[in-house]
Amino acid sequence: MLRPFERQDAAHVARYHVLPTVQRYLIRPTRYQEDVAGAVDVMSAQRGLQRPGDTLTLALERKLDKAVIGHVSLRWSDATAGQGELLFAIDPAHAGNGFLTEALTAMMNMAFDHFRIHRVFVRCDGRNHHSAKLMQKLGMRLEAHYREHALFQGEWDEELHFAILDREWQASSKVHPLPIRERVA
Amino acid sequence: MGFFPDFPIVTPRLILRPFTRGDVDAVFDYRGRRDVAFYLFDGPLSRDEVATAVQQRVVQIGWNEPEDKIVLGAELRETGTLIGELSLIWRSEEARQAEVGWIFHPEYQGRGYATEAAGAMFDLAFRDASIHRIFARCDARNGSSWRLMERLGMRREAHFREHAIFKGGWDEEFIYAVLRREWRDGV
Repeated sequence: MLRPFERQDAAHVARYHVLPTVQRYLIRPTRYQEDVAGAVDVMSAQRGLQRPGDTLTLALERKLDKAVIGHVSLRWSDATAGQGELLFAIDPAHAGNGFLTEALTAMMNMAFDHFRIHRVFVRCDGRNHHSAKLMQKLGMRLEAHYREHALFQGEWDEELHFAILDREWQASSKVHPLPIRERVA
Repeated sequence: MGFFPDFPIVTPRLILRPFTRGDVDAVFDYRGRRDVAFYLFDGPLSRDEVATAVQQRVVQIGWNEPEDKIVLGAELRETGTLIGELSLIWRSEEARQAEVGWIFHPEYQGRGYATEAAGAMFDLAFRDASIHRIFARCDARNGSSWRLMERLGMRREAHFREHAIFKGGWDEEFIYAVLRREWRDGV
């Protein structure tokens, strides 16, 4: 289930939010447990997209036990060109089970159908093969591969950008429109 | 830490040097053209706009802080004709990044002048300014620009589609880059 964050989620969030491998694309990176509540506050306030620059963040709650195992965000980065960025994090203990695929698919549907975004993009670490595979599975195209364009935690960075356009997402979504038929009679 | 190189920079056929107020006519000769402006953010410039632009360029000769530009005119050694301009923008101090750009008069294209001039700018950035990575961008339809980037040994790192609006239509953009250790086998 995808739903906004509540303050009491901090205990669950603390399990993954401080891990070094998760820090990279967090809305508010946290090195220490005591910073997690602040990050949850920030995320719980991100409940809609009113104006460009706004972010909508939803918690990934596992149906089975109601545990929060990660989050997904949609940031409305540009209004004139209809651009949106997806950001996400998952507790590595729950990665690889398809939870992110489900969550990102739902976010993509919302971005294109509800918010009328024209292009959704995702940035990820060039060495994070899981993320790269996931993006390809979602039908996203690799549009950029930057090498040593920035420093992250004191090391040269490598970054990938994946993107998909509204018309490409609709074409590949599970719900197929009815085929156009020749007019009968 | 700033960067204020010595000018002019002399290459086999060109002189790269700061702009002077006397360059307005020569710059208007190419910046006033529709074909030159086609892939630039600005439309064709009027002579007054060129005069203002040249005025700004006169002092763009060094870097005090990131986002500062060095803009140089490329002049033919043989005739003294100004045939284009190159810019080197300091994009990041920490990660030592710079962006390069160029605009050349179409009548002087196809003779390797831009390659020669850009090569000298790369030497300046990598060797004298200790830049780690230089990148350049252009419209995906601007073949003469991205082919020049490839001739310079730059790698296509990005191909963005419909990521922005450019002059009323969807933009398609390339970003090319080269690292210091890849340029002339490491300078």
